[in-house]
Amino acid sequence: MTASDHDDRIARAGEYALRVLDPAEEAEARAEAARDPAFGAEVDRWNSRLSQLADGIAPVEPSPGLWPRILAVTGVAANDNAVRFWRRWAIGSTGLLAASLVAVVVMVSRPEPVITTPPAPTASLTRVATLKLDNGAAAMTLVYDSATGELYLAPTSEMEGDTRIPHLWLVMPDNAGVQLVGAIDGHDTSRHNLQGVMVGQATQAIAVAVSMEQPGHTPHADHPDGPVVAQGEFQPL
Amino acid sequence: MTAVFDRDALSEALGQTGQGDRAAFRRVYEATSAKLMGVCLRILSDRQLAEDVMQDIYLTVWNKAASFDPARASPITWLVTIARNRSIDRLRAGGVARNSVPVDAAYDLADDGPSALEQVQLADEAGRLGVCLDELDEKVSRVIRTAFFEGVTYEVLAQREETPLGTMKSWIRRGLLKLRSCLEQ
Repeated sequence: MTASDHDDRIARAGEYALRVLDPAEEAEARAEAARDPAFGAEVDRWNSRLSQLADGIAPVEPSPGLWPRILAVTGVAANDNAVRFWRRWAIGSTGLLAASLVAVVVMVSRPEPVITTPPAPTASLTRVATLKLDNGAAAMTLVYDSATGELYLAPTSEMEGDTRIPHLWLVMPDNAGVQLVGAIDGHDTSRHNLQGVMVGQATQAIAVAVSMEQPGHTPHADHPDGPVVAQGEFQPL
Repeated sequence: MTAVFDRDALSEALGQTGQGDRAAFRRVYEATSAKLMGVCLRILSDRQLAEDVMQDIYLTVWNKAASFDPARASPITWLVTIARNRSIDRLRAGGVARNSVPVDAAYDLADDGPSALEQVQLADEAGRLGVCLDELDEKVSRVIRTAFFEGVTYEVLAQREETPLGTMKSWIRRGLLKLRSCLEQ
């Protein structure tokens, strides 16, 4: 290899790292970096040199909603608290939401919930909620896409060791009560596709909550029978 | 939130993230997200878009942290490179309406902002590159910086500078080689 070939190769690694090549040249350089470790190492060295320019870029805090989204897509839920809340959780909850749920049960006497048909969502709106225990520890991250009705749940290990079945609830605005979504997996990440009116309800809901129900028991759609153990407000993204 | 991480601590946290350590992943995020958000925002000029790309970036970090090799790159180089490349991919994929900010204005902005070192201790060589860039012809230094900060191709640079494409390529290629010699002195 002549000196000028050598320089050409270094310059090409540099322009590839700088991303100034057109798509065809870039694809070619990418293929070369993949098959030729020496060229790949030259690209690494350029990235190392050029990334120093990023020192000149001021840091910008991302919005607080970003981390829950990342947790959701990575299927990881934050679990800084090693204590397993399900084991120490006493039956019954004194939380504010539990109190409001009781009030709702008293107010709504019909066994079947009255469902007003909400306007169909027209644009994609992703909503997230971190469901927390009374002590503030995260129990689950929830992400909901109103355009597709897709619901993604990522429980933390706080859910482990409980034989009761967690049920997910929507808390509707204007004291309109709660709506059962259904039984959920408290141990592993899961995906659900909401159907029919539930799609709009999940778009309108102000918060979500989890109650713990006895195995084999399905509560009425408008009120939980077991204790409400975790809750979280919906946040738009 | 603003945990000060040195290079070794960040390397270690990345290594632990590669083994599926969630707490380490969170430490990586807390130490680097503002830095990487700055990079994404600089290229994409749109907060929403930048956060969408940030989600992809940290998904990549989670999935590929095991392949991070501290012998090949500093952790912040690895992260900044992912952030910049993902932002440029998005910029080129989606017809992003980008308001071009003159490079000089970008520098004023950066100079007024908090030091990146408050969050992450960057490459030990930080500053050396700036010195070497300043040794280049002013217009060459300017187009290399523009390429880095805006993620634009030779073609766009040539149009902006009203220079033939071949001339622009030759400026940058020669500039890069000089830069390399200067950095290796």
